[in-house]
Amino acid sequence: MSISLTINGETHATNRDPLTPLVDVLRDDLALTGAKAVCREGFCGACTVLMDGQPVVSCLLPIASAAGRDIRTVEALSDGGELSPLQKALEQHDVVQCGMCFPGMTVALTSFLASNPNPTREQVKQSLVGNICRCTGYERIIDAVLAHAQAMQGGG
Amino acid sequence: MKGTRSVVTPASMAEAVAAVEEGATPLAGATWILRSPIRDEKLAGSYVAVSGLAELRAIETGDREIAIGAAVTHASLCAALNGSADCAALVQAAGAAANPAIRNVATIGGNLCAFSFAASDLAPALIALDAQAEIYGVSGPERKPIETFLAARAHLARGWLLTRLLVPRNGRISAHARLPLRKAGDYPVAIVSVSAKRSSDRTLRSVRIAVGSVEPVARRWPALERALEGRSLDPEEAAEAARERVGDFQGRDGVEAPGWYRMQVLPKLVRAAMCGVLAQA
Repeated sequence: MSISLTINGETHATNRDPLTPLVDVLRDDLALTGAKAVCREGFCGACTVLMDGQPVVSCLLPIASAAGRDIRTVEALSDGGELSPLQKALEQHDVVQCGMCFPGMTVALTSFLASNPNPTREQVKQSLVGNICRCTGYERIIDAVLAHAQAMQGGG
Repeated sequence: MKGTRSVVTPASMAEAVAAVEEGATPLAGATWILRSPIRDEKLAGSYVAVSGLAELRAIETGDREIAIGAAVTHASLCAALNGSADCAALVQAAGAAANPAIRNVATIGGNLCAFSFAASDLAPALIALDAQAEIYGVSGPERKPIETFLAARAHLARGWLLTRLLVPRNGRISAHARLPLRKAGDYPVAIVSVSAKRSSDRTLRSVRIAVGSVEPVARRWPALERALEGRSLDPEEAAEAARERVGDFQGRDGVEAPGWYRMQVLPKLVRAAMCGVLAQA
């Protein structure tokens, strides 16, 4: 049974087992390696992608459930090689660490800020509950997100 | 791996039920099913994807009850029922479970049909709210008290589908308290959900207390309910009454916490849940 996936605006057909986790198709078949298969239990968030604009963990998303949905990976956040404003802010604040968790964090934060453009510190923390950083750098990331949000509101 | 497994997408409830009767396993958010190999459980050969059925994705608020489709996600439930006085404990439970990315896909029905998942937040919340489960099988729809469904679900005959959860609108105030080892994002080691009827003198009437994650299946705490019935709504007194009765449970040992610890934290959780109820009284 062929399954049609829409990844970053492009259509891909696959004959994989319908319960194959999406992250495996992204990484192994499409060379989209931004999403990382780390815990494979939905706890760490390193494999987070957007499905119809909402963050989901691609390690627990069967490709059968992704069919017909708009999937966006971290690779799609930049526009023609130009980093998104959030990505630029994270780089400018020097909060990008080892890179294992960071694609997932960036994807989760992109969705979060789209619906919460002026968040509180606590709200940013809550949005990252499912994104674990082993480098323990949460606080500076949150500082960067709040500074970015303030700048986007015209206050920075 | 080539696709030898089948996932059927039904066009109607009748097709979904027919597929289940033929042996297909319902597939909703899939966050539990995809972790089957981690639990040394085999994946099934055929699934029926029920999340697309409009009947299962609907939330309907009637005069007497709120009907929540089994394929409603945790996030959708929170968005739809946030501020609903009848569902406070349920909204708190759904909003605290797992993490945002999981809550965007994990469904109410999937959570309740994960037989071996003891740390469900929804189960005690629904018990406290005196909810019913609607299941659909060969003889049509049937309602069961949620506690009855939870106890029997692993042993029901093949060919049923959980379709809706019905929460009565009977003026109950409720609250949900949980203890994860991290502040959020992991499974709670113990859960307490409480509901009671409003009373003008701030006494507890028709109190229902449910405990989750301590034993393999969530259940009511009848002795504590009887002890608190008709008493003033005092969280400290409720915690003391709970402390005297923690022996009513047999805590399950697990990698995240031993059984005795799950029981020991119950009085604190009762206190927290009662504080939540008090805030609404």
